[in-house]
Amino acid sequence: MAKISFVLNGKTVEFESDLNRRLLDVLRDDFNLTGPKEGCGEGECGACAVLMNHEIVNSCCTPLANVIGKSITTIEGFASTKRYVVIKDAFAKTGGVQCGFCTPGMIIATESLLNKNPHPTEYEIKIGLSGNLCRCTGYNLIVEAVKEAAKNGEGLW
Amino acid sequence: MIFLKDISTPINKVDNDEKMSGKAKYVADIKMEGMLYAFTVRSSIVKGRIVSITYPKIPDGYFVVDHRDILGKNIVKVIYEDMPVFTKNEITYLYEPISLLVGPDKEVLSTLVNQIEIIYEEEEPVFDWVDSVIHYHFEKGKGFEVFSDKEIIEYTYETSYQEQAYIEPQGFIGYPEKDGKVTLVGSIQCPYYVKNAVIQALGVRDDQVRVIQAMVGGAFGGKEEFPSLLACQLAVAVQKIKKPIKIIYEREEDMLVTTKRHPSRITLKAAIENKKIIALSANAGIDAGANIGLSGVVLARALLASTGAYTIDNIAVSGDVFKTNTVPNGAFRGFGAPQMFFAIEMFIEHVAKKIGVDSLDFRRSILAKQNDLTSTKGIFRDPILMPEMIDKALEVSDYLRKKDEYSKSKDFKGIGLSLFFHGCGFTGSGEKNVIKAKVRLKKELDQVYILIAAVDMGQGVKTSFRKLVAHILDIDIEQVIFNNPDTDFVPDSGPTVASRTMMIVGGIVARAAKEVKERWNEASFVVEKQYEQPEYIEYDEATFTGDAYPAYSWGVNIVEVEVDKLSYQVHIKKSWSVYDVGKAIDERIVIGQADGGLAQGLGYGYLEVMNHKNGKILQKNMTDYIIPTAMDMCPMETYLFDNPYAYGPYGAKGVGELSLIGGAPAVAKAIENAINKNVYKIPVTPEYIMELMNDGEN
Amino acid sequence: MVNAFVPKNLNHCLEILNDQNVRIVAGGTDILIQNRSHTSMLIGFKSDVVYIANLEELNKIYEDDEFIYIGSCVSLEKIIEETKVPKLLRDTILEMASPAIRHTGTLGGNIGNASPAGDSLVSLYVLDCELEIKSYNNTRRVMLIDFIQGVRKINLERNELITKIILPKAEFTNSYFKKVGPRLTDAISKLSFSGAYKVNKKVITDIRIAFGAVSKTIVRSKEIENRIIGLKIKDIAGMVNEIVSWYEPLIKPIDDQRSNKEYRKEVALNLLRDFLRNLEG
Repeated sequence: MAKISFVLNGKTVEFESDLNRRLLDVLRDDFNLTGPKEGCGEGECGACAVLMNHEIVNSCCTPLANVIGKSITTIEGFASTKRYVVIKDAFAKTGGVQCGFCTPGMIIATESLLNKNPHPTEYEIKIGLSGNLCRCTGYNLIVEAVKEAAKNGEGLW
Repeated sequence: MIFLKDISTPINKVDNDEKMSGKAKYVADIKMEGMLYAFTVRSSIVKGRIVSITYPKIPDGYFVVDHRDILGKNIVKVIYEDMPVFTKNEITYLYEPISLLVGPDKEVLSTLVNQIEIIYEEEEPVFDWVDSVIHYHFEKGKGFEVFSDKEIIEYTYETSYQEQAYIEPQGFIGYPEKDGKVTLVGSIQCPYYVKNAVIQALGVRDDQVRVIQAMVGGAFGGKEEFPSLLACQLAVAVQKIKKPIKIIYEREEDMLVTTKRHPSRITLKAAIENKKIIALSANAGIDAGANIGLSGVVLARALLASTGAYTIDNIAVSGDVFKTNTVPNGAFRGFGAPQMFFAIEMFIEHVAKKIGVDSLDFRRSILAKQNDLTSTKGIFRDPILMPEMIDKALEVSDYLRKKDEYSKSKDFKGIGLSLFFHGCGFTGSGEKNVIKAKVRLKKELDQVYILIAAVDMGQGVKTSFRKLVAHILDIDIEQVIFNNPDTDFVPDSGPTVASRTMMIVGGIVARAAKEVKERWNEASFVVEKQYEQPEYIEYDEATFTGDAYPAYSWGVNIVEVEVDKLSYQVHIKKSWSVYDVGKAIDERIVIGQADGGLAQGLGYGYLEVMNHKNGKILQKNMTDYIIPTAMDMCPMETYLFDNPYAYGPYGAKGVGELSLIGGAPAVAKAIENAINKNVYKIPVTPEYIMELMNDGEN
Repeated sequence: MVNAFVPKNLNHCLEILNDQNVRIVAGGTDILIQNRSHTSMLIGFKSDVVYIANLEELNKIYEDDEFIYIGSCVSLEKIIEETKVPKLLRDTILEMASPAIRHTGTLGGNIGNASPAGDSLVSLYVLDCELEIKSYNNTRRVMLIDFIQGVRKINLERNELITKIILPKAEFTNSYFKKVGPRLTDAISKLSFSGAYKVNKKVITDIRIAFGAVSKTIVRSKEIENRIIGLKIKDIAGMVNEIVSWYEPLIKPIDDQRSNKEYRKEVALNLLRDFLRNLEG
């Protein structure tokens, strides 16, 4: 057991835990944040994606020990921002949400991309989404959603 | 107030916000107090029997649940009932379920599972397709034999497994309610399939089982009948232990043990006279795996598609379901049609090549037309817009010029075209004789509740049905309520399968809505309606005669590819699709379905590899089972043709499966065009392309 | 009971390695999956672990006149962004995995894993990569080609840690990496190819060629490269098949769930042939 401290969705959290845990389990089991999902458990599908120091990581293969002192944002935290509103309106407009299981991860990927690159080309968007699998949409409507969000970003990114 | 003009005009999907914000609860997200977990104990041999099982000492609060705890029947209720809930001692496939270990701490459960000792007596497994358990055959016209003196062209085609790879793995939570009632919440397509299976396994009354659909993260047929097995196992455990129990498969377990698309081998023969096909023979074999389940219906649907989008007057069709000692196969979007359409589309192409005619002209000359007889001597009663749809596809893709250019160039570029249909609704007399779908609309003051068992698994049923009812009643969509189906509150409107939901269930809901509209001044009431088959639909399942489907949706796919000369990898450049689904209840939703279905069809055709070795699936996770990513997917252009069907709401026909059917043959033909070699199996992997380039020599 | 150590600094880490029997975990993207147990359970490590990803000393990139030094825990994505790093390596890393994995994955981790399909390894071999290895009372340097001894076999003592990836500065006329995977991204390679060369007055003065996933370790042959050095570009054009035949016996791939040996071999040699045919200058 060790003392863990990091910033979670904007608030500092401090608690004791075994260090050898996946961040995904800490978020879902300890903090009831079920936005990040387990789709594959091996860093392949991106359904578990969160932002760590504002960059996308797969929480299913991020050990808790590596999170100490960092800032973690899950979809629940991101959903209270202005940027989220632009992204979610874009996804709704293009039809980029079907079953929704990949969607929080896709939105996290979108934010991670636009945060570094506010005006990505289509190719750069596809690279940005390359670690997020979707089985329902065939991706094009999601790529269109990211384009739409970038277009409507207006200085937010 | 949402003002809906044309019903097809898209609206924001009603469940977007909860899904995007992370608030939507899928079954793994649900927690209950005092919840226990379950691990499944599975066979480590392929075939044989269990001689003895020795469990370690089971601590207090932990339980073993197996066949001895089944108070009802130890058989999962599916179309053909041969799958046990827990095997007693016979093992017929690797990882066959033996028991559940249930308890509060997963670390303890994991240790206990590892301490179980099972002694088996192994037998020689069968992997070859030799044990035919279902055989069908039928003919039309003069059959095929009488033409055996003509020029005969014959080819055999093979398709492999396809894994649904829904991003949300399978799972349930089960819990006891008052008086021995068992409630199950799960990621499912068919609440009543699950309920009826559980009733049979528990041996209880109808009102003692309740099934609630959780938010579903993708299904594609993989959650059509498999969940019934999982639900029965869990329900037996809940009935015994009387505590809430959660069982969620992790990806590896899901991939190794759940149902997949049936592999197939199809031999087609054509009798040729004057450069025309005067008779066709089709013989199909599919691999059911260790249990038959619904394999008979998969075979039937495949055989019904044996003449493709074409009319051929004389046919002899036969097929077999083979039993092997591999994981049982089951439903997957398309349900036998993708296998057959790959074969027939490639066959027509290969025949045209062999007899020296242009394949597109050849296909146009035999395209099915309104009033033609179907393969089972039913009638294509509705207009078929395929000639115009083909023209549209050719125009937007510049197909003819490209095909010609790519055939001549050494560039390894290619373009391919596929023509296909999908029979909407349950095959044969299922709707009338078996399902007998019922729906209810409940009006309470100014709100209307849609009470049906149809599941929204991403295909937008919640949005399209609320839209449908709001449009008919001319009220705000906010006044229409559609909660996740709960068998305590909704009648059995049938399973969410077979592209039947909008056409059939929506059709009944529309009729009910019209009555609600007439009675709108009444404060509160319930309208119940049942499926009424149009009188003209008559089908004899035993002889495969008559109208197998009430309606057909049609499609054209064109796919352009480039094959890498060094690595033989296939890059899909673009696709163009034209579909007739009658009428889109929401155009954006239909386009989404079209994109997603084509992505799966393409994956089936060139990318997704799954095979078994000695009964073990070799690709057991998302690392090894390769589905397309955003980088792999091509831009897609889709066009919808309106062709209203009289018995579908606003003219709607089936949508869900159509767009998967044509992807594999289109991409396979594009690759043929690029490399100038015939393709006989899918997926057309780089390894296979290399073999073809080396003329089968390695 | 598995213990976890989170050292305060490099020195502390080396002490731990000296005193304990521990498994080193950097980003975790490989190790957590190799040791996976089940949802909500502790990671299934079979020995104690030490977490090094956040050690400041291992997270720097710098250079001197001769070399570029990359800390073993610098994230793959940071390496892509750092223009000091040779283009060949940056291009290679961009083809690996996905953005999420590149944000926490490290070269130290890739090397420690020593997978025969490791993409970064192929280009690191071409770049004559050296490693700095530290233990509590020793620092040594070793060539990567000597460090990796077999499938997941490395020349690392129990108390040692990879601290730096050291790349000799070199100028190339051109460099080229090609990954052949089952799809265009986010996949383990079926095979890969990395090549770099320098041309002076139409003569090859330096050439390096390496293949991944076609043998137990990365395939590179200085002996064959020396036969090519000194040749004129136009002479090489006529010798391509001969050069390919020199490499042929070194390419010994296997069949697995991803591909088969015939494909891997033929495509590897196709890539080599294409590389040799397109030498510039």
